[in-house]
Amino acid sequence: MEIKEKIQKIKARKLTAEQNIKQFLDKIKKDNKRLNIFLHLNSNALDEAKKVDKKIKEGKAGKLAGLAIAIKSNINVKGLIANCASKTLSNYISTYDATVIEKIKAEDGIIIGMVNMDEFACGSSGETSAFGPIQNPSAFGRIPGGSSSGSAAAVAADFCDLALGSDTGGSIRNPASHCGVVGMKPSYGAVSRYGLIDLSMSLDQIGPFSKDVEGAKLLFDVIKGHDEKDSTTYENIEPNSNKIFTIGLSPDFEKLCDKSIYSLVEKKAKELSRKNGWKIKTVDFEHIDLAVQTYYPICYVEFFSATRKFDGRKYGSRIENVCGPEVLRRILGGSEISKEEYHGLYYRRALKAKEIIKKEFEKAFSQVDVILCPTVPRLPQEIGSKVTVEEMYGYDALTIPANLAEIPAMSVPAGKIQDIPVGIQIIAPQFSEEIMFQVASAIEKLK
Amino acid sequence: MDFLWRSVNEEEKESIKKEAKAILDNFSKALARVEKQKTKDVFVERKRQTRKEKKAVCDPSFRELFFKNAPEKEGDWIKAEKGAWK
Repeated sequence: MEIKEKIQKIKARKLTAEQNIKQFLDKIKKDNKRLNIFLHLNSNALDEAKKVDKKIKEGKAGKLAGLAIAIKSNINVKGLIANCASKTLSNYISTYDATVIEKIKAEDGIIIGMVNMDEFACGSSGETSAFGPIQNPSAFGRIPGGSSSGSAAAVAADFCDLALGSDTGGSIRNPASHCGVVGMKPSYGAVSRYGLIDLSMSLDQIGPFSKDVEGAKLLFDVIKGHDEKDSTTYENIEPNSNKIFTIGLSPDFEKLCDKSIYSLVEKKAKELSRKNGWKIKTVDFEHIDLAVQTYYPICYVEFFSATRKFDGRKYGSRIENVCGPEVLRRILGGSEISKEEYHGLYYRRALKAKEIIKKEFEKAFSQVDVILCPTVPRLPQEIGSKVTVEEMYGYDALTIPANLAEIPAMSVPAGKIQDIPVGIQIIAPQFSEEIMFQVASAIEKLK
Repeated sequence: MDFLWRSVNEEEKESIKKEAKAILDNFSKALARVEKQKTKDVFVERKRQTRKEKKAVCDPSFRELFFKNAPEKEGDWIKAEKGAWK
């Protein structure tokens, strides 16, 4: 059932919020062991649903009334466990609601529980969780992508209506692509990160997952906007769209991809252009091949800094004593390159490259309205496969550029290869989420 | 190597550290090609947004949850070792 249809059903009281939540809880109870998606359920969800039903009856319910929303375990929901899929915070109970959670609750959305993820969002595969790997419901046995693996998998497995994840270098779009759902990373500054346990503060964004574009837009519209608790946030500026778009395709993205994946996405872009009368134009990037090399020094240093609070005094355990290899790699690497003797060699050089990539996107968007490319350059491998660190980091080669350029991007299902979902990525200028959603809807209609 | 979670021993910590440095060295070498390009200094400018100072709101349940999370406590105090964390 589409989100729009479900909302109408709930508001018309043909389906109660309580029934909606209960059917998800039953499904989770039946299938979660096999898929390893939920780490912690909200024991008050049914009671909260009953209260929402009362509000619906009184005609006072909000935009998300009765919808079940799964939350990535690095976002604070008061009274629930936000463990970041780590042993460091294995029993950490959130003491407050993140701003995005306050907004969801104000619109009567029901937090159904906290989902699995890569440990501290360090990963692109959903394998680095201290509570075991997450299965891909759309391609069982293969990685679901990461790091918001549980959020994407929860939507794909019909464990919830919508989900929240965080995206630092592709962590929403990558699992959305592998699980065959819609996932959206907003512009940097569009959504408050207050209450997000950060990976890399200059790149992190919180964003929605849904089965359809309408659902992602609905949740984004609820969580967006300025928050005085996060000084990087703006009120959103949404430019009017002219409805006739120019789509950008780039050979520089094509070079980074498997041929079959790029062909599928290119075919989709051409179909989109033909059906809507939109133009296609080639855009060039000189430094896009440096995105991965730019991202990781920034991420390592900022993550090292972010983890200094995990000293095991006020909560949890000391992170270095109990974390897995990928988290440790980033902490030790970040510690090393932020030393005074390396001043300028790693972090500042990466910041410079980030600025250059950002400028290249600004130039590209003076010629086109959106850029289309695959979300992930390769198909998801089998869980537990042996890959090098560089190969694993390369999974995010097509998603990282949008984080570096601080612009919005989303993944929409494009089709399947070998019966495995493949996503198409739509990248738009900063704060042009409205245009991005219009193009995403048009892609969805091609089905 | 696979990316599945596992606990790390002291010996492995050293090799992870070396490996991380080698990866970052390679990345930094690749980024050397941007070194001569001119860019503006990276800084954050926030002229349009100012923080409104409001009166702090006290959440009465915060204290209970805060102490629930503390690994070692005694009465109204959280206990922490001296000098072990550097």
